[in-house]
Amino acid sequence: MRNLLVTVATLALTVVVVGNAYIQKKQFYPSVVYITKSNPSMAVIYLQALIIIWLMGKLMQKIFFGELRAAEIEHLIERFWYAITETCLAFTVFKDDFSPKFIALFALLLFLKIFHWLAEDRVDYMERSPIISWLFHTRIVLLLTLLGVVDLYFISFAYHHTITKGASVQLVFGFEYAILLTVIVNTTIKYILHIIDMNREVFWENKAVFLLHIEVLIGFIKVALYMCFVALMIKLYTLPLFAFRPMYYSMRNFKKALNDIIQSRRAIRNMNTLYPDATAEELAAADNVCIICREEMQAGAKKLPCNHIFHVSCLRSWFQRHQTCPTCRLNVLRSSPDSQSTPHAAAPPPPQIPLQNAGVPPLFAFPAWQPPFFPHMPNVNIHQANAPNVGEFQRQQQQQQQQTQQPSQPQMSASQSQPFSSESGTSQTPGAFIDSSFSRQFPFPFMIPPIPPFIPGITTPPLPPQNWNGLSLEELRQMEDTGRRGVEARLQCLRNIHTFLDASVILMQQYLTSATITATSGVTTSNVGSQNNTSDSNKTNETVAATNLSTDTSEPSTSQTMFSNQSFETSSTSNSASDKSENSNQQNEFQDKLR
Amino acid sequence: MAGAALRRLMAEYKQLVTNPPEGIVAGPISEENFFEWEALITGPEGTCFEGGIFPAKLIFPFDYPLSPPKMQFTCDMFHPNVYPDGRVCISILHAPGDDPMGYETSAERWSPVQSVEKILLSVVSILAEPNDESGANVDAAKMWRENREEFNRISEKIVRKSLGL
Ligand SMILES: [Zn+2]
Ligand SMILES: [Zn+2]
Repeated sequence: MRNLLVTVATLALTVVVVGNAYIQKKQFYPSVVYITKSNPSMAVIYLQALIIIWLMGKLMQKIFFGELRAAEIEHLIERFWYAITETCLAFTVFKDDFSPKFIALFALLLFLKIFHWLAEDRVDYMERSPIISWLFHTRIVLLLTLLGVVDLYFISFAYHHTITKGASVQLVFGFEYAILLTVIVNTTIKYILHIIDMNREVFWENKAVFLLHIEVLIGFIKVALYMCFVALMIKLYTLPLFAFRPMYYSMRNFKKALNDIIQSRRAIRNMNTLYPDATAEELAAADNVCIICREEMQAGAKKLPCNHIFHVSCLRSWFQRHQTCPTCRLNVLRSSPDSQSTPHAAAPPPPQIPLQNAGVPPLFAFPAWQPPFFPHMPNVNIHQANAPNVGEFQRQQQQQQQQTQQPSQPQMSASQSQPFSSESGTSQTPGAFIDSSFSRQFPFPFMIPPIPPFIPGITTPPLPPQNWNGLSLEELRQMEDTGRRGVEARLQCLRNIHTFLDASVILMQQYLTSATITATSGVTTSNVGSQNNTSDSNKTNETVAATNLSTDTSEPSTSQTMFSNQSFETSSTSNSASDKSENSNQQNEFQDKLR
Repeated sequence: MAGAALRRLMAEYKQLVTNPPEGIVAGPISEENFFEWEALITGPEGTCFEGGIFPAKLIFPFDYPLSPPKMQFTCDMFHPNVYPDGRVCISILHAPGDDPMGYETSAERWSPVQSVEKILLSVVSILAEPNDESGANVDAAKMWRENREEFNRISEKIVRKSLGL
């Protein structure tokens, strides 16, 4: 409605301007001269031209696209503003050539660009739509042909113009249309691939590979074009600022595509040569559904080194994006040297490490963590002896997801645990860090409660489970057994914590009452010195007790959070955001209780 | 042969219809286009968003599930992890490698293992417990930390608005 109003108003204005000129001059040429000489009339004419272009755009849209989708419009507007900015920047370089013809050429370029973008979006959309009508095909083919011909015409025009008349703004146009032509070529190839894909009865595995290669090729051509253009412009005019943003993006895309192609080729080669085909039993054990496409797996499934099974085709297309296991995020490129040594081993070696320790009662490093109970013990060697365990606790927290394996880990020494943390650089030797922080705190028993070394926000998020899927049933049962014992022991620990907390509350209350007594008695009695002495010693004793209790409880509190995390994890909604807040809530609760 | 993305979306839709999770409804807006979904999320009980019914749209890329979908609330939403224009910013909606908010690891990122259902459940859980490390809406994050009463008041208003009251 508003558009219609604007159109009608502009038309009326134009009629007035032209009519006015004609009435005054009575002849065609004088009227034209009159209009071009008068600035207000020219403004109206420009406005009219703009409206005509817009109307033509609408018409072409109706012919070639029909109704635009919301996403297309959004995409279009975003790109349009960038294009406008770049056009304005280009004007600054060619301010000498500035003329109505010049503006018209830029307007036309922008106008054609919009249709190139829309064509690109439409062809991408093909893959998403279940039904493609004949109308769609006709429109796309017509549009692509038309745009291709127009691009070619302008390129050849710019070429001849530059050859015959020397470098001018036509250089920019020629180059811009060349870039647009690459877009058309890319879109056409995609369109053809989509058509082939749609007419096939079975899934076309190589389509993604083709697409990736074409992306690299087109990317290369674009980068080369931009390079030539920038070099020419610098030589002939100045730095073409307006070309920098698209140049940067095309270079980035090209680099990414090239990188993708190299990495994915490696991953796919690994998959074809190193990873074994999944057997029927393995497929049945993994309830036969490929997690990528959610479809059944019959043949053509591969098993990754982490024992997760997927369709070959699904894996291939995933490896083109990321070279990790979709389920556990094991980096398949980094882990390949392991599997190279034993290419056809069914089970990877790592699970043996936890099994060596499986017989040992789990987690019970924890009761052994005693120094805080005995405040007057020389604590230097004790805390050193226990430091690896502390480290293990932190590591445990990081590896929450390795649920079953977890209980057996605390018994391992730091060096034994190295193979597990090889994936992450962050969990190198947490024991060392804790050790030093503890030795700073413990030589002074009369301190305020030390800050718990495990602040949940700081610990790195959990590492993915890597290898416990490869265990046999027997081994799993064994681990489950130790797991249950771990849980029981943890419950026991929680009970202990509860007792300690109660005790600490009582102590704090005593401390408070004695503190108030001291305060009042300090005022009333004349015998200040001795009173203060006794109450001071009272106070310090209690602080010691409180310190020890709180160090102790801060320790179990990590296992408490860990425990809750585990139950949280097993409820299968693994959301780390709530995990973290869970952690900090727990921590807060404990700190509140302590207060 | 229809695209892998389309088939997977159809499978997920079927799954959501036959076995809907509590408090969540989701499905394609039209049969023509399976790549744009609408979802209704019920505010989790016991939170300031309790009782609200929040519509959102999900836009799937053509290479789904290799790339994550985009999610945007189509109602008013004032939340630390939702941009003022309604776009949801949670880590599982970002592929490993693109890092708008500086998440530390790729462990909680998008992978084909995730699904519409998991995304929506994650959104429910951030409604219950905002993650104020990723400040998509800085004002909301600040208010959530410092002035919870005001935050609760605003969310109550949003809840009422979402119910058309
Ligand atoms: Zn599959
Ligand atoms: Zn895996």
